[in-house]
Amino acid sequence: MPQQKLSHDIILTIGYHFTRLVMAGVFIYASIDKIIHPDLFSEAVYNYQVLPGYLVNLTALILPWLELTLGTCLLINRWMAGASALAAMLMALFLGMILFNLARGLDISCGCFSAAPDEDPITLLTLARDILFLIFSLGLAGLVYIRKARDVMEILGENQGGRWE
Amino acid sequence: MTVSSRTGQHLTDTVRQTIFIILISVALGAAVNLIRPDSIPFVETWSMADKLVTEDGETLAIPLEDAAALFADNAAVFLDARTPAEYAQGHIQGAVNLPWHEVDNYFETVIMTLDPETTTITYCDGEACPLSHDLAMLLKDLGFTRVKVLVNGWSLWKEHNLPVTTSSS
Repeated sequence: MPQQKLSHDIILTIGYHFTRLVMAGVFIYASIDKIIHPDLFSEAVYNYQVLPGYLVNLTALILPWLELTLGTCLLINRWMAGASALAAMLMALFLGMILFNLARGLDISCGCFSAAPDEDPITLLTLARDILFLIFSLGLAGLVYIRKARDVMEILGENQGGRWE
Repeated sequence: MTVSSRTGQHLTDTVRQTIFIILISVALGAAVNLIRPDSIPFVETWSMADKLVTEDGETLAIPLEDAAALFADNAAVFLDARTPAEYAQGHIQGAVNLPWHEVDNYFETVIMTLDPETTTITYCDGEACPLSHDLAMLLKDLGFTRVKVLVNGWSLWKEHNLPVTTSSS
């Protein structure tokens, strides 16, 4: 029984670190080009036509830093409850925006990994990619919760089995 | 510790950390924009008409009436910047398809055949569709002197029952 528990824990640990590092990479990579080119990214935000004009630049200025900060939290394994929840919320939001614009048939750039309006058009592949990232983020948020619950149980001496590192 | 109190604690942590991360991002975003040389205004009015003014103050947008008059006189070339599939479904009568996303492939077959001195009107669909604007800028860079953009061209053209070619006709 402890043996089985241990292998179960190892799988969860690998899953946790794998999704954490993948999403850290995704968010940090996605933020760089947008931080370098706020003017281009603001245009990409505007082209989505979902925000009132006065919020376009604010979004273009803050969103990339949000991606970078939460990506960094994921990378250094800090504030994981907040970072994983935010990652899932952002991915759900991005997915919603992409679906909305695919449904409307707007021919615009994704602005996902590149700020330039001419690159990265929204396709079904973009949609599939974002669904995968959303699943990763939700999985990570779940794993963060389970991990924390295990830690508490261990402190309380309820769990003498395998440890989670 | 009960399951519900654990969940409660986790929720509290999640909310607190989420707020911290957002506050740090707002502070960083604002601070960096304040000190960088190529900053953008925090609040800016965004409209297609503003985007269609070139650096030398020329307005690229053309009113529908003017475009329709040029069309009637056969005095302008209409360029459809949308995808070939959208073009095939329907376009302004006589318009040439020059899809912005594949513009490189159309260099010899379309752009080289156009006279840079002729009035050229680009259009796509939707109030904020960037394709016609991007195409117009490219044509200007290539030396076309009379480039205009018919904003929301396809929708407007149809609404006013101006001549179109559709896949069924």
